[in-house]
Amino acid sequence: MDWMIGKSIPRKEAEEKVTGAAKYTDDRSDAQMLHVKLKVSTHAHAKLKKIDTSKAEKVTGVHAIIIGESLPLTGTDIKDRPILAYKKVRYFGEPIAAVVAEHPYIAEQAAALIEVTYDPLPIINTTEEAMKQEATLVHENLATYHKTDKVFPEANSNIANRVKVRKGDIQKAWLQSHMTIEENYVVPPSDHTAIETRSAIVEIKPDGTVMITSTTQAPYGVKSEFSETFELEEGKIIATTPLVGGAFGGKVTTQLELIAYIASKAVNGKCVKLTYTREEDMLTAPVRMGLDAKVKLGATKDGKLTAAEITYLIDTGAYADKGTLLTTAVAATCTGPYKIDHIRCDAICVYTNHPYITAYRGFSHSEILFMFERAMDTLAKKLEMDPLQFRKKNAIVKGNTSPTQTVLNESSVGNLPKCIDQLQEMMNWKEGVTIPIDERKIRVKGMCCSWKTSTISGASSGVVLLFNADGSVNILSGIVEIGMGTKTILAQLLAERLKMDINNIHVQMDVNTKTIPEHYKTVASRGTLLAGRALLKAADDAVEQLRDIASRVLTCSPEDLEVGYEKVYVRDDPTTYVYIKDVCYGYQYSNGNSIGGQVIGKGNYTIRHLSHLDPKTGKGKTGPEWTVGAQGVEIEFDQRDFTYKILKAYSVIDIGKVLNYKAALGQVMGSMSMGLSHASAEAYEFREDGTMNIPKLRTYGPLRYGDHPEYIAKFIETAHLDGPYGARGVGEHALIGMPAALGNALSTAAGVELNQLPLTPEMIWRKKVGDKFL
Amino acid sequence: MIPYNFEYYKPTTMKEATNLFQSLLQENKSPIYFAGGTEIITLGRMNKIVTDAVIDIHHIPACHILEQDDTWLTLGAALSLTSIKEMKKFPLLEKVVSEIADRTSRNKITLGGNICANIIYREAVLPFLLTESYAVIATQHGLKERPFQELFDQTLQLKEGEFLVQVKVATKDLALPFFTVKKRRQWGVGYPLLTIAAILKETHIHTAYSGLYAYPFHCEKVDAQLNKPNTERAKRIEHALQAFHKEILHDIHGSDTYRKFVLKNVLTDVIDTLEKG
Repeated sequence: MDWMIGKSIPRKEAEEKVTGAAKYTDDRSDAQMLHVKLKVSTHAHAKLKKIDTSKAEKVTGVHAIIIGESLPLTGTDIKDRPILAYKKVRYFGEPIAAVVAEHPYIAEQAAALIEVTYDPLPIINTTEEAMKQEATLVHENLATYHKTDKVFPEANSNIANRVKVRKGDIQKAWLQSHMTIEENYVVPPSDHTAIETRSAIVEIKPDGTVMITSTTQAPYGVKSEFSETFELEEGKIIATTPLVGGAFGGKVTTQLELIAYIASKAVNGKCVKLTYTREEDMLTAPVRMGLDAKVKLGATKDGKLTAAEITYLIDTGAYADKGTLLTTAVAATCTGPYKIDHIRCDAICVYTNHPYITAYRGFSHSEILFMFERAMDTLAKKLEMDPLQFRKKNAIVKGNTSPTQTVLNESSVGNLPKCIDQLQEMMNWKEGVTIPIDERKIRVKGMCCSWKTSTISGASSGVVLLFNADGSVNILSGIVEIGMGTKTILAQLLAERLKMDINNIHVQMDVNTKTIPEHYKTVASRGTLLAGRALLKAADDAVEQLRDIASRVLTCSPEDLEVGYEKVYVRDDPTTYVYIKDVCYGYQYSNGNSIGGQVIGKGNYTIRHLSHLDPKTGKGKTGPEWTVGAQGVEIEFDQRDFTYKILKAYSVIDIGKVLNYKAALGQVMGSMSMGLSHASAEAYEFREDGTMNIPKLRTYGPLRYGDHPEYIAKFIETAHLDGPYGARGVGEHALIGMPAALGNALSTAAGVELNQLPLTPEMIWRKKVGDKFL
Repeated sequence: MIPYNFEYYKPTTMKEATNLFQSLLQENKSPIYFAGGTEIITLGRMNKIVTDAVIDIHHIPACHILEQDDTWLTLGAALSLTSIKEMKKFPLLEKVVSEIADRTSRNKITLGGNICANIIYREAVLPFLLTESYAVIATQHGLKERPFQELFDQTLQLKEGEFLVQVKVATKDLALPFFTVKKRRQWGVGYPLLTIAAILKETHIHTAYSGLYAYPFHCEKVDAQLNKPNTERAKRIEHALQAFHKEILHDIHGSDTYRKFVLKNVLTDVIDTLEKG
C-alpha cells in the first residue's frame, strides 16, 4: 500500500496563506526604498517624436527619469524588444519612460507630467492585415535582430516564425475523403488576471552584485537574461522569488525586472521597487495569445479521419518573446488527439500592434483545441455521427504517431478511449445531447477530447536534501510556489521514498538562485516530473549515505540495509536498526571516535530524447508524455435570449498516478473554471486604432463567486513510466478542452456554428439574428 | 494608491458639514462629500476624481435613519446597499440594489452614494423614479424636501454645497406589483447592458431604465406606448421601442442594436409579468 502517494496532504504553505502571514514580493518594503512608475504609450503604433521630461524632473522627490535611448534589446528567441520604447512604440501601453522617486505617488505624478509627442503610423490590428503583401511593418529591421537558430523570422514581413508540419501525403488523403469541412476560427488575445500583479525589487550592491526579487516563474531565467542583456557575471546576479500569487504563464517573461534594474542603476544602485497596478498588469505586461485558423478536415463515410490541413496565425503582438516557441507548440499539437495519417500544417507567428504575448496556462492548447474540436463536431454533424462516438472511433492510442511523427506507446499517450467511455457514462450521454426544459429553455451537452505535452527541450532540475540533526529533512528545490502546490508534492514523494512522517519534511518555499539548485522554470506542468525525478535521485543519494554510515554502526554490509520509518534497519531483521537521527550527522562511537558528517542528498534530472522539429517536415519530439482527457459541459440555453447557464463541467483526465487527490482535484477544477471563464467572457477588444479601453477587472469579467457550475472530475491512471510513481503533468490539462466543450454545446443549442471566442450571448445573437433584427 | 493629497473631515451634524463645505470653498479648495468612498477611491486612483478635501457624512445620525410609519419609509443616504438589501421593506429597491456591484462593495456603497455617483448606471435611482418619493437635502439654510422625480434630471440636481440626507418613499407604494431585471453582457456580476424597473399602479405600467443612455431615466412617452389600450402586446412593444428617442449606448458591454434586442425581450417580460399578475 502507498505510504503517502494519493493522500490529500494539505499544502506546506497553507497556514501561512490562510492566516495572511505569507509574504509576496510587493510586501517587502522599507523607508529607504525608491519607487518606479512608468509612462506608457497612448498609441498602438507611432514614431516617438519627442519625450519631454523637463516638467517631471522638477517634481520634488524625483531622483531619476530614464528613457529608452541606448538600452539593449531583449527577447526570448528574437532580440526585438527595447526595455523602454525607443524611436517608436508598437503597442498601446508600451513603457516609454520610467520615473524613480521617493514615493510611488510622487513617481506617478511626475510620470503624468512627461510629455510625449507621437507621429502616428498605420496600425496592424489583425493577423490578416499583418500577412498582406503591402502590410505596414511592425519591425522594419527584423532581419538585423539577434536570434537563436530555432526560429525563422522572414525579412521585410511581419512573420516572426513559421513552423511546418508535413505528415503523410495530404493530396492522396483528400482523394480518399468522402466528406470534408473547412471552417475559420478566431480567438482574440486576453489576460492572465493572476490575483497578484507583477512586481520587482532590484538593488545593485557596491561590489556590483545585482539583487532581484520578483514575481517570476523563472528566477533562473531572470538570472541568465540579466547576464546576457547587461553583460553581467552570473555569479553576481542573485534572483530571489518568494511565494507568487498566481502566474498562469504570465510571469515567465522577464519584463519589469529589466526596467527596475536600469532604474536602480540610474540611482547608484539604490533599492527600487516597481509594482504594476491592475491596469498596468493587463495593459503593459505581456498577455495571452490570440489565434486565428483555417481548419480543413476530411473523413471517410464511415467516420475515419483521413486528413487535416490547417493554417494557424499566432498573434504575437508587438514583440516575439514567447510567441515563437508558442508557434512550435501550436505546430507540435496541431490536431486533437486522433489518429490522423496525413497532416499539413503551417503555424505562423505574426507581429501586430497588440500587446505582446507570453505563455498562458495550456501554452496554446486550449486555443488550438477550441478550433480543432469545434471542427470535429462540425464534421461529425455532416457525417451524421454522434460526436462522442466519432471521437472514440478516431482516438489516438499506442502505436499511432503524433503530428510530429513520434511513435506513441501506452506510457507516452495514456488511455484516451477509457477517458471517453468514462465521460460518456458520467454525462449520461445516452440520454441524448438536447433535452427540452420548457418552451424557451433546453438543456444541452457538449464534449471534446484534449491532450497536451510540453515544449521544453533542455529543461533540467536539481534538488538538494539537507538532513537536520533530529532526522528531519529540508528540501531545496528551485520550483517557485505559484499556487499549484508542487512543493508539497515533493515532500510527499520524499515521505513515500523514505517512509517518513511528512511533518518531518520541510520545504524551502522561497527560491534563491545563489543557494538553491536550478529548476529550469516553473512552467508547462513540469514541476513534478523534473523536480520529482531529481528529488528521487537525491533521496537515493541520501539513502546510500545513510546506509553507508549505518552499516558500520550495525556491522553489516550497506546492501543489507533499508531506510524507512525514521530508521536504517536490517532488511530481514528490522529489530536491528539505528535511528536516522543518530547517523544523519555522522556517528560517534562510545569511545568518542566519529565518522561521516551531515547527510546531503543531491540529484538532478533532465528530460531525455527530446529534439527540435525538422524545419521541412516538423518531425521531432518536443515533449516527453502526453496527458489525454475527455471533457464536457452541460448548459441550460434560453432560445429566446441566447443567454445560458453552465450547469455542469466534466473532466476525465488520464493523470498517470494521483499523487495528492485533493491537490489534483484543485488543479482540475481551477483550470476548468479558467477555461470556461476565458471561453465565455474574456477578451481584449481593440478599437480600430489598436487602442482599447483601459482594461480593469470590473469590466473584464472573469467568473465570480456564484457564476460557477458544478465541477465533476475523474481520474484515469495509466502510468507514465518516466514520471515519479507514474504521474503525468496535470496543471493545465483540464483547462484546455473547456472552450471547445462549451463551444460545441452552444453550437448545438443555437443551431449555428460558433467559431469565435468569447461565447457571449451577443455573439450568439449576432450569428443567429444580427442584421435581421430591426 | 490615490496619487494626490487631500484633507479629510468628519462632521457629526448636517450644519457642520454644510458649513465646512462653504469654508473649504472660501479657502479655494474643491471639497466633495464622502460616504462609502468606493467611487472616490476607485476613480481617485485613476485621477478621474481629483479633490483636495473630503467631508465624510457617514457620522451624521440623520444619514443613517431607516424608519417607517403609515405614510413614509425614510432611508438615510449613508445606509449601505447591503443594509438596504436586507431591510425587507421595499422589495423593488431591495432587488435593484442587490444587483449593483458585488457583496463586498455593497457593504461600503451607500444609497446616497449610488444615487449621486459619477458612474452612469446609478440603478438605485430607478425605484424612486416610479414611486411617490422625496429627496431630503441638507442646505446651508437647513433641510429641504423635493419630489424625487422633479429633482432628478439625468442626475440629482443638487446645488453646490448641498447633499442628500434621506430619501422618503410613500408607504402605500412599497408593495406595488413590480418587475425588475438586470441584463449583463455575461454572468452575474458587473455593469448592465440594461436594467429595468417596472411597477404596476392600478392598471398602469411604469418603467425606468439604466444602461440604455448615459444616465438612468423614466420616460412618459415609452410608458404611454406600453399602456396603450386595445393594442396587442407586440405592437405596444414595437411602438415603445420607437419611443426611445435618443441613441442607445454602444460600448464594450454591448452594441446598441443588441441592447435593443435585449430591451425588446425585457419589455415582453414586463408586460407578461405585470399584466398576468
